[in-house]
Amino acid sequence: MSDPTKIRILLADDHALVRRGVRLILDQEPDLEVVAEAGDGAEAIEMARAHDVDLAVLDIAMPRMTGLQAARELASLKPDLRILMLTMHDNEQYFFQALKAGASGYVLKSVADQDLVAACRAAMRDEPFLYPGAVTALIRNYLDRVRQGEETPDQILTPREEEVLKLVAEGHSSKEIAEILFISVKTVQRHRANLLHKLGLRDRLDLTRYAIRAGLIEP
Amino acid sequence: MSLFWRIFGLNAVVLGTATALLLWAPVTVSVPVVLTEAIILVGGLVVMLVANAALLRWGLAPLERLTKLMTTVDLLRPGQRLPVPAGGEVAELIRTFNAMLDRLEHERATSSARALLAQEAERRRIAQELHDEVGQSMTAILLALKRAADEAPPPLRDELQQAQEITRDSLDEVRRLVRRLRPGVLDDLGLISALTSLTSEFATHTGLRVVRRFDADLPPLEPETELVLYRVAQESLTNVARHADAKRVEVSLRRTDGAVELAIVDDGRGIRAAREGAGIRGMRERALLIGAALDIAPAPAAGTRVRLTAPVPRKQP
Repeated sequence: MSDPTKIRILLADDHALVRRGVRLILDQEPDLEVVAEAGDGAEAIEMARAHDVDLAVLDIAMPRMTGLQAARELASLKPDLRILMLTMHDNEQYFFQALKAGASGYVLKSVADQDLVAACRAAMRDEPFLYPGAVTALIRNYLDRVRQGEETPDQILTPREEEVLKLVAEGHSSKEIAEILFISVKTVQRHRANLLHKLGLRDRLDLTRYAIRAGLIEP
Repeated sequence: MSLFWRIFGLNAVVLGTATALLLWAPVTVSVPVVLTEAIILVGGLVVMLVANAALLRWGLAPLERLTKLMTTVDLLRPGQRLPVPAGGEVAELIRTFNAMLDRLEHERATSSARALLAQEAERRRIAQELHDEVGQSMTAILLALKRAADEAPPPLRDELQQAQEITRDSLDEVRRLVRRLRPGVLDDLGLISALTSLTSEFATHTGLRVVRRFDADLPPLEPETELVLYRVAQESLTNVARHADAKRVEVSLRRTDGAVELAIVDDGRGIRAAREGAGIRGMRERALLIGAALDIAPAPAAGTRVRLTAPVPRKQP
């Protein structure tokens, strides 16, 4: 029997080496444990039926059934299951579609070594996990809309937050922003989180609603 | 009437008139020539030549129209044809020429279709392989390096972390390559998502304001049609960024009667109609591929409007 204090994870990726790598990274953490693996979306659903899992980590591009389709099925099959996408696609369309399908986080494979563990924990806390490109896209789009007078920020940002906002919108990474402003990367990430919070983009549903309203995805 | 008889007839008319004049008009030609007679004769000759020239020009007009079309015809704008006159050799010639244009246009359309399809298929294959094989293996390497770095002693750890960063950069590069080769969003999420992604990316890179207007009730389209619409939008936006000096672009996709209409309208400095570059010719080739009409014209206010009207096959009942 698996340890009840651990987060039980289902891992789906069609590439066995990636699966192995991810598994080793996750199993290394004391609070995470991979209890099932699947090579495609359909198998992931079978595995979710057969095993008790808390979190599903799904690749998007998989044979038989894509990660997005599987996420949709899993969300209706097991509403309590948290879903995290782990993918190569650096594109906000996939991100928003993933949110719409019921995923609560989106991790790029190129930063999986840094972000995956944090994303798993965020998902279990019911917080959305956004990859940096998504934050930039959201903030840019938001600023555009403010400029067009469609919406106005209802909370005033601090001067520091405004600085960060501007740099994020210009496409700088957290690391670059930290270097420009002489602050730590952690602080930058906190500012980013506060920004999203103040812009009214707190959780998965907010983000999805926002994306539909802004025409970033279809309703 | 054949061309021979037509010209022969015209000449016969002119010569006959001249002969008739000589026979019945009160004119004589003295043997040592008299000046007035010479003037009258030369005048008569000039009249004859002018009449002959005029009649011949009229008689050969269809050939001239044919030559003009032959020098200007553009296979990328199909449908240019000559009216066929009543009969005879000229009519036959024009009919044959029209038929040849039909054949050439058809041949051109199918061969460029083959080339474009082959190109897209090849790109898709390379993108897929990069994504599925190279990208995945590099992800596995990245994760293995991370694990090794976590367990390695400090001096080795730094090196492993450096290797991690290099792998990450290469992985980003592979991802960029895949994206450039093939609009994966189009295959996975459909045309609207692909165009949304294209336009927001364009807005991010150029700083232009992009307005999207997509009809919600678009009819289902063939994958080739979607790809052509996407590529034309992509090329048009590239042109806007490169040449238009615009502030705002509107990209719209509307359903019309029996067709889907893609329009890209900018407020830049418009096009100088002189000649069309490789980009626009490429768009025309793609439009031909799906039997769509491409229209590039000045926009109503300022700037340029590119409009692609793609027919939607009616559903069989």
